[in-house]
Amino acid sequence: MRRNRYVHTILIASALAMVAPFCWQLITSLKSLSSATSVPPSLLPEGRWDNYSRVFDVIPFGQQFLNTVLMAGLRTIGQVLFCSMAAYAFARLRFPGRNLLFGILLSVLMVPPQLFIIPQYQIMSSLGWLNSLQALVVPGLFSAFGVFLLRQFFLGLPKELEEAAAIDGAGPVRIYWSIVLPLARPGLVALSLLVLLWSWNDLFWPLVVNTDPGKMTLSAGLASLQGQFQTDYPVLMAGSLLASLPIIAIFTLLQRQFIQGIATSGIKG
Amino acid sequence: MRMSKRLSAVLLSAVLAVSACSGGTGAQPAADPNAKVTLSYGVWDANQKPVMESLAAEFTKTHPNISVEVQLTPWADYWTKLKAAATGGAAPDVFWMNGPNFQLYASNKVIGPMPGQPDLSVYPKPLTDLYTFEGKPYGLPKDMDTVGVWYNKTLFDAKQVPYPKDDWTWADFQDAAAKLTDAGKGIYGTAAPLGSFQEYQYDTIAQAGGYVISPDGKKSGYGDPKTIAGLTFWTDLIKNKQSPDLKTMTDTTPIQLFEAGKIAMYWGGSWNVSEFTANSYTKGKIDVAPLPRGEKQATIIHGVANVVSAKTDHPDQAWEFVRFLGSKEAAQLLGQKGPIPAYNGTQTAWVKAHPELKLQTFLDSVSYAVPFPVSKNTAAWNEAELTYLTKAWNGEVPTDQAATDLAKAMDALLAKE
Amino acid sequence: MNRGRAREALWGYAFIAPTGLGIAVFYLWPVLQTAYFSLTEWGAFGGHTWTGLDNYRRLADDPEVGRALVNTLTYTALGLLSIPLAIGFAVLLNRKGMRFVGLYRTLFFLPVVTMPVAIAMVWRWLYNGDYGLINYLLSLVGIDGPNWVADPATALYALVVVGVWASVGYNLIIFLAGLQAIPKEYYEAAAIDGAGGWRQFFHVTLPLLSPTAFFVSVVSVIGSLQLFDLVYVMAGSGAGARANPAFPRLQTVVQLFYERAFVTNDRGYAAAIVMMLLLLIVVLTAAQFRFQKKWVHYA
Repeated sequence: MRRNRYVHTILIASALAMVAPFCWQLITSLKSLSSATSVPPSLLPEGRWDNYSRVFDVIPFGQQFLNTVLMAGLRTIGQVLFCSMAAYAFARLRFPGRNLLFGILLSVLMVPPQLFIIPQYQIMSSLGWLNSLQALVVPGLFSAFGVFLLRQFFLGLPKELEEAAAIDGAGPVRIYWSIVLPLARPGLVALSLLVLLWSWNDLFWPLVVNTDPGKMTLSAGLASLQGQFQTDYPVLMAGSLLASLPIIAIFTLLQRQFIQGIATSGIKG
Repeated sequence: MRMSKRLSAVLLSAVLAVSACSGGTGAQPAADPNAKVTLSYGVWDANQKPVMESLAAEFTKTHPNISVEVQLTPWADYWTKLKAAATGGAAPDVFWMNGPNFQLYASNKVIGPMPGQPDLSVYPKPLTDLYTFEGKPYGLPKDMDTVGVWYNKTLFDAKQVPYPKDDWTWADFQDAAAKLTDAGKGIYGTAAPLGSFQEYQYDTIAQAGGYVISPDGKKSGYGDPKTIAGLTFWTDLIKNKQSPDLKTMTDTTPIQLFEAGKIAMYWGGSWNVSEFTANSYTKGKIDVAPLPRGEKQATIIHGVANVVSAKTDHPDQAWEFVRFLGSKEAAQLLGQKGPIPAYNGTQTAWVKAHPELKLQTFLDSVSYAVPFPVSKNTAAWNEAELTYLTKAWNGEVPTDQAATDLAKAMDALLAKE
Repeated sequence: MNRGRAREALWGYAFIAPTGLGIAVFYLWPVLQTAYFSLTEWGAFGGHTWTGLDNYRRLADDPEVGRALVNTLTYTALGLLSIPLAIGFAVLLNRKGMRFVGLYRTLFFLPVVTMPVAIAMVWRWLYNGDYGLINYLLSLVGIDGPNWVADPATALYALVVVGVWASVGYNLIIFLAGLQAIPKEYYEAAAIDGAGGWRQFFHVTLPLLSPTAFFVSVVSVIGSLQLFDLVYVMAGSGAGARANPAFPRLQTVVQLFYERAFVTNDRGYAAAIVMMLLLLIVVLTAAQFRFQKKWVHYA
């Protein structure tokens, strides 16, 4: 019992270290610059909500929020659909060159994403897609990781139902759509949540392709807020809180599914 | 490249169904004068965005077929993003240009010369010269700015230091900085940052009688003892703890320290007016004085120009908009709520907009102003300035040695232009 | 039967077609192009010419590249500290009769889902030399803290702390899952042999967790080598960022890539920088796979 008390002390202290930065972020976001820079600092907020309105004055926050939602949403839908199709083929269908193609796919997983960026940027530029939603979405519709994750998941599913359906004359499309996908729901949810999170927080690609503030995502928009306000920390804290709250809210709600997703992708990888 | 184009065209048809959310830039029908056109207008100053929007609206009143969308990119990212956009052929139709970048953009044909014979005599000559390349003007000056010393009257009163006089000298300034510094309260007399040389190093270099770049643009002036005197003016302030050190100014920039009442005298531009009159701390507490006199009196003059992308789909409309922005009418509107307009004779509205401040200071200094130092590839040696001088500002290397090292590096870069 | 096979194969190709084409266009082809670009030099506003191995020679002489490599490798090595920390927390949370496990897990998890740009801003403020919370707390115990991210002596380590803080929750989840997969019988057997808590930890838990630890270490090394977001916010880029005295200690390989590719538009050189990154990742990953025989126990 006593030892549990020590354990709790350690855990509480560490949990505090995890949460304190967020609390300080909230408190600072409600201070004026002169009180944020007073020594010693006051530990109480002041109700300076105009820091939040200044964020909206400088960056088109609503538009950037929408851009981020659309980018994350469309990438997620695209990856779940395309990756599950390919994963099904690699897990269940036999065709010449299957192992070779899968091997090539795996090799893409090894390559750091920065290697793709200059040519991807060139493609976007030659299509006239710089500063567009397509630029944010299209390269992110395809993922070697997604195929790999779902293939592993599909391999773990029992084959009996599919075999029974095949005997009943169902083709690959029907088996994929009405048997495999419903069975694989936990895997699909895990992939969706991972893609959603990565897309929401992604910085490099959106920063580079969309330079028009109205077409930026929140991550890049937030970075540009710092370009404007430099070290006006109360405004920066307000902006960073606004930009990260939606995803924090979603993941606090869907924690269980998400944790399962990480655990499966982690252990089986 | 061709390969990827074809492949992506195939891919396009496959994915467009999914991302059926276009909004891309469709091709514009060519040269129909009555066609509705939207121009994009790239700017970097959030404080000026509302003025630019009302100017755009004013323009649309007389040109109902042309609407203008103001795109704000904060200063810190502006040139990075503009360069990337220009490389991809996606630069705004009309955008703000500054002195250090102008020759690079003009020589690479990212912006085009102005058609027709604009009347340049209505703008200050140092500004129209700044935006002339190979004898041709590439845009019209929009505004001008000079530098002054913004000071916090409350902090002066607290230490019973008299406010700066118009004819004050370096010695007066150093004296005031020493008296205003209050280490116990975390208050510094002034700030000597490294970053924007326009309000700091370039001014004191000129005041000390030194130079940054030789008139023919071939030689660096950083090895000159007078130039070095213009630099030690600042490093001494840091050494004497009358300015925060470079690390502190990296954590919290001087303008924010000034707006938090931690700095008594802030060297800033005329462009700071709108920020300081809106800020709830500085409002009513501050005023402005001319830069102190060194060996001579000097301030840097600079101004932004409106230029047109060489790749714009609507060159006629874009130049029409630039002409409007360069007009007296636009200058008067700009002067009421923005920076000092460049158009001669329209500046009084700007001074009168804030009678509580001695804004005439900025106009008076035009008479002894020196032009902004530039060359064809200014950015290259601007990076060298920071790389070398950071060591002096941080106290790792003596200022004169950092300056002579910088002169060598800068000469090598100029030789490559 | 043969027709059935052919049909199945056709369906197979159809199913992989969208991803296959997408990967080919946006991933495979770009890798080849980047390799090609690394042998060219680019103009300020586009256009490139063949220069052979010039960029690679430049890499070897560029002091910024050397610094970026040292910084990145130091960050990567120290970032591995998150693994023992995560194992420690996982073991504590996995104790019998532990309460509030869900709550702790949520709290540890917050930084994992928070936007890295936002995290970097918050920490930059916490690290502020004069007005930051950290130095205020230190001043209460009589310590005069430095300007953490503006001081060359501390900047890189300050970055490591943020990196570990932000990743420990992620690793914790994986280790918790790993712990829960260890059969109870092993502990029972160890208890019968008279092994106490610590001995059980070293002789049962750690060996059985080592495959998980190996996986986490491979993933985290690859991730750390690509550090960008934190640095982009905390140090900035371009000429202005060079006024930060700690900038030489904050530059990383990917940050340098960003500057060369998208600030100075020196894309051929940028391509050479990422080719170097690829090599680094391949070598370090291969080394870990070789070295794993020494410490990873597969049950």
